[in-house]
Amino acid sequence: MKSINDRSQDIGPFVSQTDDAIIICRCEEITKGEIRQAIHDGMFTVNEIRRYLRAGMGLCQGQTCGKLVKNLIARELNVIPDQLDPATSRSPMRPVEMKVLGNEEVAHV
Amino acid sequence: MKRYDLIVVGAGPAGLSAAIEAARCGMRVAVFDENAKPGGQLFKQIHKFFGSKEHQAKIRGYKIGETLLAEAAEAGVEVFLNATVAGIYLDKELLVQRGEVMEHFKADTIIIATGAAENMVTFEGWTLPGVIGAGAAQTMMNLYGIKPGQKVLMLGSGNVGLVVSFQLMQAGCEVVALVDAAPRVGGYGVHAAKIARCGVPFYLAHTITKAEGSNCVTGVEIAQVDDDFAPIPGTEKHFDVDTICLAVGLSPMSQLLKMAGCNMVDDPRRGGQVPQVDENGETSIPGLFAAGDVSGIEEASSAMIQGRMSGLAAAAYLGFLSEQDKDNRLADLEIALDSLHQGMFAPGSKGKTIAKTDEGIAVSQSLLKKGYLDDADLERFINRSDQTDKKSGIHPVIECTQNIPCNPCQDACTRGCIKVGKTITALPRIDAANSCTGCGMCIASCSGQAIFLVDEDYAPGYASITLPYEFLPRPQKGELGIALSRSGRPLGYAEIIDVRSAKAYDQTTLVTIKVPVEQAMTARFYQPETNAAGQ
Repeated sequence: MKSINDRSQDIGPFVSQTDDAIIICRCEEITKGEIRQAIHDGMFTVNEIRRYLRAGMGLCQGQTCGKLVKNLIARELNVIPDQLDPATSRSPMRPVEMKVLGNEEVAHV
Repeated sequence: MKRYDLIVVGAGPAGLSAAIEAARCGMRVAVFDENAKPGGQLFKQIHKFFGSKEHQAKIRGYKIGETLLAEAAEAGVEVFLNATVAGIYLDKELLVQRGEVMEHFKADTIIIATGAAENMVTFEGWTLPGVIGAGAAQTMMNLYGIKPGQKVLMLGSGNVGLVVSFQLMQAGCEVVALVDAAPRVGGYGVHAAKIARCGVPFYLAHTITKAEGSNCVTGVEIAQVDDDFAPIPGTEKHFDVDTICLAVGLSPMSQLLKMAGCNMVDDPRRGGQVPQVDENGETSIPGLFAAGDVSGIEEASSAMIQGRMSGLAAAAYLGFLSEQDKDNRLADLEIALDSLHQGMFAPGSKGKTIAKTDEGIAVSQSLLKKGYLDDADLERFINRSDQTDKKSGIHPVIECTQNIPCNPCQDACTRGCIKVGKTITALPRIDAANSCTGCGMCIASCSGQAIFLVDEDYAPGYASITLPYEFLPRPQKGELGIALSRSGRPLGYAEIIDVRSAKAYDQTTLVTIKVPVEQAMTARFYQPETNAAGQ
């Protein structure tokens, strides 16, 4: 288990930064400040940020912001980004309409 | 459920190459690609590729793409377009979206060749319309014929940033500046020189501080950065632009491999999350392979070789190829791949500062900082005894000063004037014993547009310079324009005395200008006067 899962560690207080208003996740319009605040709320993994804020849950599925979010977490926790697991990869890999996802062709031979 | 011997995900250079090799071994092969057109990034690559003959050097990317598609069709590969692989499940089952239907496919071997996606950087205003990836700019220009903007600032001096800057100018855009936070140009010096001599200024150790505009980009502010990449107050510069192009690296699209359960590693040198693979691209799951950028960011030439290797390995895995045949054929491909991994830009050289070439010549700092060779560099590289043909008359001048894996110039010269030798990263040398006829094949064969033919004795007081020209409209013989230096500085009037196009030049026009003889070693580009007047 990686050290980042030690939730008792003190990462210091949330200190606002001048560029906190910058959007990091374009699809869900989540700002840098919101993500940094979430880390100080105890969200130490990319998956937790996803569930907490929806960053990386929009149309591009984190293709654009995945690395950016990871780097933000790494900086707040003072670890190198490689130590953080990326978000879970699961189907569907790309956005798909529910009517299409439910339209499985089963009788194909 | 439809079954195949091999399913390849991604119809780019790696995927198509893998499919071709496997199908030629007798396998039933399907390729899925989510795009409407096959070829991945190849059809956006309108420049000539580097490498040697077996790497298809001096051939333009889109032509390599056409060849791959024809080979795939001939080998019986089924290519499914607009087919998005939505998931990968146990025992090599794929869920694929085709149109309004989700279909299941199963294969005995799978090769993931999904490529990479562009990285982004954030700054104030980065979400404004007009901030685009360099790949997006290429897609607009080279696939759809749309100009991304009028005035563009490029962030990123790697090969993507340099190549796309040149393509933007070819499309008629003005590139106002090339910016990189790194202190040195990241890509090939020859690519940098191509845009520097068109007058594009380089701002190394600079970054974008903000994109200006309320509804779309109307300008950009850059600033110099300190050693920690933090902007230095007071160094801000403003440019009027409508487009900001970002070429700040790629990340492997490796999600399918992660979902499949392959052992993954986070390797910044390979671009991010990548699968652990053996030398043929096989992952920790037997029969599941990864090839191309998805297993580590490189470029199309190595992706094609990696694809072929994993295709052969998949064929051997299922018994379509004997182990001995596999080993023999892989050995050749390994040599070809290895030769691409040599030189100053080899994967192992990433992040290292290289002071000297393999020949022991101090590298050009001017090229790394400003994008062009300065006069002191000429003394070291160009006026060397083994580099100049001291005899009178026309002779090649080769401004290739970095050890990159590329050697088409050597084969281009039928007179044997140019020698690279067996090590394809060696700097080309001029063999003064053989005389140049001025045929121009070397100019057209140089993917870096770094070869010029110079004749100091063209006419009393005048020299002629033949240079590669890849802009439209083509200049006309007799036209009077401006000769530009390596840094794009106007030197004075130049008359076009010859314009040559030939099928063998493959769309590179050879323009010969007449300049005062003292400009023989300084004039390196030509600008039509109409453009000059507009600046």
